[in-house]
Amino acid sequence: MVSVCCSLWAQQTDTLVEARVFSYKVLPVVKASEQVAFLPGQVKPSAQVSELLRRFTGVQVKDYGGVGGLKTVNVRSLGSEHVGVFLDGIQIDNAQNMQVDLGRFSVDGLGAVSLYNAVKTQRLQTAKEYVSGAAVHLISEEPLLLWSDSAFKVRFRGGSFGTVNPSFQWNRRIGGTLLRVGAEFLSSNGKYKYDYFGTPLTRENGDITSLRLDSRLSGNLMGGKWSLLLYGYGSERGFPGPVIRRSEEFPFSAERQADRDLFAQGGWTKDWTDRYSSAVKFKYSNNYTHYNTHPEKNPMALPYNLHYRQQSTYVSLAQSLGLCDPWSVDLSTDLQRNSLDSDVGQFVKPRRTVFTGALATLLTWERFRAAAHIAYMGAWDFFDQKNAGGWTRENKFRDAWMPSVSLFVRPISWLEVDAFAKRTYRLPSFNDLYYSLMGNSALLPETAAQVGADIRISARTGALEWQARLSPYYNHIDQKIVAIPTASQFRWTMLNIGKVDVTGLDAKLQVGRDLGFADRRAELTLRYTFQQALDHSSPGSFTWGNQVPYIPLHSGGVDLSVLWERWSFSWDTTVTGERWSRSANTDDYRIAPWSISDATLMNKFLTGGVSELSVGITLNNIFNQSYQVVQGYPMPGTILLLILEYNW
Amino acid sequence: MGACQKIDQHEIPSKDNGLTGIMVNVDNFAYEANKVFLLNEGSMGSNNATLDFLRLPAGLYITDAFGKMNPSVGGGLGDVGNDIAVINNELWIVVNNSGLVEVVSRDDETEIKAISVPTPRNIAFDANYAYVTSWAGAFSKYEGYDLVDYSNPKGQVYRINLKTKEVDGHIEVGYQPEGIAYYNGKLYVANSGGLTLPPTYSYDNTVSIIDAASFTVTKEVEVQVNLNDVYSDGKGNIYLTTMGNYWDVHSGLYMLSAANPDSPVHVADYVSVSTINGDTVYCIGTETEFEWGTDHSYSSFTVKNGVKTALSLNLTHTTPYSIGVLNENTIFVGELALSSYEDEGQTKWSSDYFNPGTVTCYWHGNKLWTVQAGVCPGHFAIY
Repeated sequence: MVSVCCSLWAQQTDTLVEARVFSYKVLPVVKASEQVAFLPGQVKPSAQVSELLRRFTGVQVKDYGGVGGLKTVNVRSLGSEHVGVFLDGIQIDNAQNMQVDLGRFSVDGLGAVSLYNAVKTQRLQTAKEYVSGAAVHLISEEPLLLWSDSAFKVRFRGGSFGTVNPSFQWNRRIGGTLLRVGAEFLSSNGKYKYDYFGTPLTRENGDITSLRLDSRLSGNLMGGKWSLLLYGYGSERGFPGPVIRRSEEFPFSAERQADRDLFAQGGWTKDWTDRYSSAVKFKYSNNYTHYNTHPEKNPMALPYNLHYRQQSTYVSLAQSLGLCDPWSVDLSTDLQRNSLDSDVGQFVKPRRTVFTGALATLLTWERFRAAAHIAYMGAWDFFDQKNAGGWTRENKFRDAWMPSVSLFVRPISWLEVDAFAKRTYRLPSFNDLYYSLMGNSALLPETAAQVGADIRISARTGALEWQARLSPYYNHIDQKIVAIPTASQFRWTMLNIGKVDVTGLDAKLQVGRDLGFADRRAELTLRYTFQQALDHSSPGSFTWGNQVPYIPLHSGGVDLSVLWERWSFSWDTTVTGERWSRSANTDDYRIAPWSISDATLMNKFLTGGVSELSVGITLNNIFNQSYQVVQGYPMPGTILLLILEYNW
Repeated sequence: MGACQKIDQHEIPSKDNGLTGIMVNVDNFAYEANKVFLLNEGSMGSNNATLDFLRLPAGLYITDAFGKMNPSVGGGLGDVGNDIAVINNELWIVVNNSGLVEVVSRDDETEIKAISVPTPRNIAFDANYAYVTSWAGAFSKYEGYDLVDYSNPKGQVYRINLKTKEVDGHIEVGYQPEGIAYYNGKLYVANSGGLTLPPTYSYDNTVSIIDAASFTVTKEVEVQVNLNDVYSDGKGNIYLTTMGNYWDVHSGLYMLSAANPDSPVHVADYVSVSTINGDTVYCIGTETEFEWGTDHSYSSFTVKNGVKTALSLNLTHTTPYSIGVLNENTIFVGELALSSYEDEGQTKWSSDYFNPGTVTCYWHGNKLWTVQAGVCPGHFAIY
């Protein structure tokens, strides 16, 4: 992948640029564990954020298959509920189920995607940035506009399964203000071959149509920087359902879901004095979902026709004060209100108000840096008692203190060590708390205590540049929210009883070589993740001490990329070891290891002036492997996509 | 019957004689049966329903017999086994989320025919037909019906010819019908309304009574909310279990007596698990079924002629899910996998619907043996 080439360069910008600038304003304490940064104008072969994250060590993308299938991320065996996804520092969240479908987020308009296992430690963060178990940060692209005040880009991707994915982006400078307008359409029929108990069949009802429209404005205002993003996403898709034995007379599924997500977010950051700065951020989102099982088309379906509307309003104030040069103190305070309305029977219409505050301090010498914070989260829930059926539960206030320390040392020029310890909590989702006949409104937040280190070594031997990273870690997840049946199989409840101990190691080795000029370069990356995630929930049961579902003990991969003037080529192989679909690690529930390989070849033509045309092809799953990430959800075989991009 | 009166039986030569299993103690059973079948439901979406059986008099417990005897059937038994029953020389297995009623030989478990029925639930027979309850609404375009109201369609009973094994009719009953029983020309269908969908958001409380000869619903009798199983005692009494509404109406057992068939009589409360053997209904339940905790203690009882009698089964730290009765002294209980957790320093016990459960044999009220079964061991049939 081309982007891998750039990740090395992007990580080398960590030096004092201007002597006058206070060090805490530019030096982070810990670095991102993984980062992909795009050069302005670079063609991005991946379309979805989830495709990039798949190649990050420690990350597992839970993929239900196809363009429209749900794609969530687990990091170091922390469930997706613990993984915060942030766009320009503002969380993309979902109070209903605490999961973000990263298949919906396009790489278009993004300048960098990074993963933090430790807390990201920079000035003027939102309080929510301090309280995630792990965090994926999406950073908006800042257009260069070197030669003119406007730039256009049109891109087309298309190929297998009737996938048609055109996008358009326009960047414009109006005085000191930058305007970006983007649009992207995606359509795919989702019809791919899979193995149905020895018979080849085609996946049905996995089609998707989606449209994204967004616009970002940024500029300077009253001596500060501001930005505003308006984002709209609409999709209509089918869920093909799990592969089970099913009478030939009936379809597997006729379930459809339509979504309409709208949000507006923005902020204003200002340095009031040399030492005091502040950042104000806000977001309003309004997400509507319509889910229909269409029993008239599928007599096997339970007749559900449900509508949900989630709203969220969020404001954040971050303040930073430099005490003396390498030392600063930050105070971040966030307030958020979530609501969920639905026509589900006995639905209690929950409302949640969350205050998050963080007091943080940074100490940033060139060779030794330290950060510590204490964060507080308090959440007030209110639900409509009259619809609560037989519940005698009361509205509940939940709160938690979340401390963290991070250290960075560079004892010698070629060695860097980051280390962190932190404890975070995730609030129970509205589904955990208030799902009819199952929710338990007395739940406590789920805890994740983590310690970890990143040991980075860089070296140059002749023409070769070496970078190695070793990241050992230990996570303890406690009070994990687990669904437990009560006396009746129809009446389950959620309890804080799960315990998981995770001991792991991420390792990465990159070797780069310049092949004469800056535009000729080759790079090889080896990735490996060891994760022993043991279920310690149920002493004495035969699942105790077994590997938790879906986490492989071993996984890894090899990525190769070559840039040769106008040509670029990349190859990625990802290997996932054996897993089990449940804590009973028996043969019946074993999921076989799999390995898939992807490749991309691109060529860039200069077409006069500043315009250029890029043409490329991408092959995913080159060897047409049959595999499943989630049991019952087969993944597609070989996918061929053509990429055309024209910039002017 | 005394415990020592072992009825002499010859091993029937059968294709499934080669199946291996676990030897269990059946030496002192008094029985008149060849096999005790156990249908493991599996978990929805996991395609792991399995059929186990206990071979008598050999005392051999064999797991996944359908899978082993039918390797060419892709996907095994399927997704969510919901009922089994023996008729003639056949075992009929209702596989809910596969949309199939699988008919196999009772002697060797080989497939005779898989019959398509949408969302099938439970099965009953008369001399010529099998009757299967189904949640699928009658509006289905597959059957050429017009779309009526698909927000909460009433369910149906499908009729299948025992000889041809073809569906030859279906009629509408109440909301989400569950159990079905046949007695003397009539079918009794327990309507649950278990989905509690709009516009009423409430459970059904009716039994639909069908005249088998004309295959029409002749009467609906109101009993109590969320009906579940229905049994005929062969003497004109119809027993019905209800699941309650999980917050102010407990589960229970009701009877439509031969003398007064239109006025249901409340017989007992707390019926989570039940079956009938002859004219005796066997029940397991818990008084703490409304409590949100998971550590329940269960009690068991029998009902004969509407009279409740305690039944001694040691159900401490168990999670009963089904009951099968070979005779009054030999009772099998299917149990869910057991899990435990710590809550404020105390160990609490809970059931587990995802990992394999067990079957325990009680002999004269004492645990005789326990073997591992499949996930959610839910339904017994004996021949």
